[in-house]
Amino acid sequence: MTGNSGAGRELLSRRNFLVASGAVGVAGLAGCTENPSDGGDQGTTTGDSASLSGTINIAGSSTVFPLATQMKSAFQREYPDVKVNVQSTGTGGGFQNNFCPGNTDFNNASRPITDAERELCSKNGVEPVELKVATDALTVVVNNEAGWVDCITVDELAQIWSPENPPQRWSDVNADWPDETFNLFGPSQASGTFDYFTEVIVGEEGKSRTDYKATENDSVIIQGVSKNEYAMGYLGFAYYTENSDSVKALKVDAGDGCIAPSLETAKSGEYTPLSRPLFTYAAKSSLAEEHVAEFARFWIENSTSQELVAQNVGYVPNTEDEKAEMMDRLEAAIEEAQG
Amino acid sequence: MSTDARDAVEDGFGHVSRTVGTVFRYLLLVSTLVGIVTLGVLLVYVANDAIRPLTADPGWHLTFVLAFALPSLLVGGYLYRRDKSALFTGLNALGVPAVSLLFASAAAMLFVDVVPPLIWFAYVVAVAIPLVVLLATTRYSHRIPFLARVATLAAVTVASLGVVPGAIQSLPFVPQAWLVVAATLGVPVAGVAGTYADRRWGRRAAVSVAVAALVATVAAPFAGPTIGLDPLPATVLMALAGVPTAVYVGTVVVNQPERRVGLLLPLVVVAGALVGGAVVDALGFAGPQAWIDWQFLTSDHSNTPAEAGIYPAIVGTILLMVVVALASFPVGVGAAVYLEEYAPDNTFTRVVDVNISNLAGVPSVVYGLLGLGVFVRYGGMTPGTVVVGGMTLALLILPIIIISAREAIRSVPDSMRQASYGMGATRWQTVKNVVLPRSFPGILTGTILALGRAIGETAPLLMIGAPQIFDLPTALDARVGAMPLQLYVWATTFASPEFYTTALAAGVVTLLVAMLAMNSIAIVLRNKYQREQ
Amino acid sequence: MSTDSLTQDLTQRTENSSRELLARAFFFGCAFLSIVTTISIAVLLVTEAAKFFSITAPLVGVEGETATIAEFLTGTEWRPNFTPHEFGVLPLVSATLMITFGSALIALPLGVATAIYLSEYASERARSFLKPALEILAGVPTVIYGFFALMYITPALSTIFPDISFFNLLSASIVVGIMIIPMVASISEDAMSAVPDDLRQAGYGMGATKFDVSVGVVLPAATSGVVASFILALSRAIGETMAVTIAAGSQANMLNPLNPLGYFESGMPMTAAMVQLLHGDITGGGLAYRSLFAIGLTLFVITLAMNIVSDLVAARYREEYE
Repeated sequence: MTGNSGAGRELLSRRNFLVASGAVGVAGLAGCTENPSDGGDQGTTTGDSASLSGTINIAGSSTVFPLATQMKSAFQREYPDVKVNVQSTGTGGGFQNNFCPGNTDFNNASRPITDAERELCSKNGVEPVELKVATDALTVVVNNEAGWVDCITVDELAQIWSPENPPQRWSDVNADWPDETFNLFGPSQASGTFDYFTEVIVGEEGKSRTDYKATENDSVIIQGVSKNEYAMGYLGFAYYTENSDSVKALKVDAGDGCIAPSLETAKSGEYTPLSRPLFTYAAKSSLAEEHVAEFARFWIENSTSQELVAQNVGYVPNTEDEKAEMMDRLEAAIEEAQG
Repeated sequence: MSTDARDAVEDGFGHVSRTVGTVFRYLLLVSTLVGIVTLGVLLVYVANDAIRPLTADPGWHLTFVLAFALPSLLVGGYLYRRDKSALFTGLNALGVPAVSLLFASAAAMLFVDVVPPLIWFAYVVAVAIPLVVLLATTRYSHRIPFLARVATLAAVTVASLGVVPGAIQSLPFVPQAWLVVAATLGVPVAGVAGTYADRRWGRRAAVSVAVAALVATVAAPFAGPTIGLDPLPATVLMALAGVPTAVYVGTVVVNQPERRVGLLLPLVVVAGALVGGAVVDALGFAGPQAWIDWQFLTSDHSNTPAEAGIYPAIVGTILLMVVVALASFPVGVGAAVYLEEYAPDNTFTRVVDVNISNLAGVPSVVYGLLGLGVFVRYGGMTPGTVVVGGMTLALLILPIIIISAREAIRSVPDSMRQASYGMGATRWQTVKNVVLPRSFPGILTGTILALGRAIGETAPLLMIGAPQIFDLPTALDARVGAMPLQLYVWATTFASPEFYTTALAAGVVTLLVAMLAMNSIAIVLRNKYQREQ
Repeated sequence: MSTDSLTQDLTQRTENSSRELLARAFFFGCAFLSIVTTISIAVLLVTEAAKFFSITAPLVGVEGETATIAEFLTGTEWRPNFTPHEFGVLPLVSATLMITFGSALIALPLGVATAIYLSEYASERARSFLKPALEILAGVPTVIYGFFALMYITPALSTIFPDISFFNLLSASIVVGIMIIPMVASISEDAMSAVPDDLRQAGYGMGATKFDVSVGVVLPAATSGVVASFILALSRAIGETMAVTIAAGSQANMLNPLNPLGYFESGMPMTAAMVQLLHGDITGGGLAYRSLFAIGLTLFVITLAMNIVSDLVAARYREEYE
């Protein structure tokens, strides 16, 4: 036992020696130095584009989420040192839990901000700057074999999806349609598509029949509709374009004849009422930081891009006029914030 | 019991039950293997998707077999027949560099991308100053009252942490990045290597080992560029992987001459890989079009599977694990020490006891709610950051650490405690000098296993609001993602057949390698520890 | 833990020095943290869930929309974001029950068989391979199990059952079953190892074979431990999150747990509903957000009760043989 504790003490004193000598060694080696202003940092890229660095946090609508990730990738090709985190929380969840408490710089939204949300934000000193970034077109899809229907009126859609006396069979809505049970698919609350569809079709946001297969996952809608001859579903135009072979998109008649969903008809406003604007809200105080301001400029600048918005995500790009308007609004906000 | 009845029973025992027994035995064996084999098959599938060995040229396969697989198997078989312990040594000599390289790479990532060496240096100095003070005051502990020492130490710590980092960062001249790392890692590593050598081979050997380790670490930044490594990672890899491997090999060579032959195995494996690589290059054979490759490991997430990578998730996982370990280890061990060494046998102790075993059974998603509620909603912290994620995961594995640490402490023989008390030691001295050193390997094993569990946890991170698309986290208050979270996002948000069999499979293999590395360390440690006891 | 008087005498003098007190206080604080954790969980879940139910909301001073306890516990629709809301937890419970039952069918027999093999038959060598392998079975992250179910098991199943849906409860049950085998096996094995050798010897002395002893002596003697392992494993299956979220789908279908065809359908267990609620378009203070805590509380109470019952059952075998 004596030996043991003796060894222990020896070990301890040896440790003392080692740590002490280590500290001396560190101090001695500090002689080999460099000037920190010469770029002791490893990120020693030059040029003005790389001079921006920082982190941008984005939350909000899952509809705008794919667009935001596209913009992030494109932006980072020019500014590799700016970090961008994107979270899909839903429009409301983003405002309530992230944007208004001041935790994020942008909040994506598939609908305009509500008064209650604006109030919550201003209570925390967060001032939202509304920027329209694209237009989304909802698409009603049926099975490829469903030869009896190519065009559907808004009234028929309302009848099918309304919670009051929802029809069980196709023939209940239109006598020309087969006497077969509906097999309905649609998004659940998370996608924001649901809110928008119920508002413009049924007439009240969130009001919908409930006996359909509701899912977060748009591929489930595509799959379900493509497998069942008497199925119908609705989803964002972006997802339809990815799967345009598997399912058939219906033309929609809002009283002015049948209009097929397409980038052109959505842009021209013909495809109504199922096209809607998509937004991102920037926090004005965040725009004071140059990397946030630059990202916002980049996004608006590219909101007219066919490649980024239409091809990669499937939304309708902004028009040049819209872009100019958003840019003016943004520059004014940036100036105010940085002023 | 009549004779007839007994005959019948014996018949039953003698004839029928032998078959039944054999069948039963194999049934049990099959049942035992069902789960393991199923997992094995699934692993083969996912490895096939991630590595795609069939996409390679036949020539590549031939070279692989002839230069690498066959020689390694032959040597392995030879060692197995000759001396199993030598084979074991050979496998260890492969495992030590592999695992230490993995962890050294993790450290190198932090130095390159997260902690600027200057800041690291500043904090090392800031922590070193109170340590020196601690050692100095320990020398004169008899003359200074305990509380005064604690107060001094606390004051020095606060002052040092408050002043030194800022002062160092504002110095007009600072050391080169690689030099900082070489000094701050090389010196402690040399110290550890020296202590190890001292225990085995005496003081003179210790000095030369320590000096050699230090020289190797300082030389690494100059040698690194010759093989295409930047100075900074070269230094870290040398200090944390090169030196330990060299020490292990040195121990085998010097102390276990009968096992030296085992070193043939790593030699053949490395030589086979090099020769095979050279041949494949020379003859222009194409290797497998693996999804898990350097590009995958070093890139950010992308919407296209071919460009997607997992690097930010790896760094996020490393940072989270650092926070989890720092937060849960001291508290877990402290609680275990209290329950085993201090706690009186009363109701409170029993409540704590039952409580801990129940906490271990609380679903992880509920811990996520706890983190969301306590840290984010009521604590006002930003959702989804490294700190919030790390602390939530720390709470999750705390009960596991406490339970395993208690077991380790319980296995310290009571006679040792009595002996310590007999020498006049106080309870704290007994804990510090006898119980903790003695149970340390067991505690470490339990902690590593618990961290291995934390590394795969996804639900708590989702609950505390970690972002789905994340970049490299560079600070404790940055939004963080982790490997399992990245897998979840790829499996749901980016659900598509392209992602399933490509980036996702590669990510699964990456996470499994990290998990298996931690588990294998723990299992090896435990086996060694149990043998020693 | 030292209760004997010699130690007490010896440590008495130094016990109250400030250094000893400081150390003791630190260790006590660490142990106390576990109690704080439990209390935080309980308080948080109860207060947040209280805001959800109409009967308790006035007590915590919350106005606005609420749901009744009866609606929550007996409703058969789970639609947190529809107008009108439906907060019936039964569809979620039905999916959880089915996965728990399905995984139990796999894990309980295999786990007990594994335990008997390891405790009674396996050689030391076999054990040294099998035990780490089982540990790895339990250590594979659950998100990876979910991926396996979706990616490999469901396609394999669909060659046998063409009607099976892409997300289904069967594949989820299979992977959850596999991941809880080690839990059943290790706890049952501990219980079997605790059975005194005397009993086995007595059995052999009667002329019994190893089979007779394993099944007729050891298994009955270890019953309480085996039962405890069952309860713990089932509680783990109930709380399992990622594997079922990925594999079972996100449609809160009301399923009949007694109908085996339900396993081919997709369903949304309680844990998956919690994950989905956080990603959904829910508002911070809204009813849907609070329903998260109501499910959390339900889950916590169920698993806690099962853990306590398992502790009580396990305590029996310890008393019997130790």
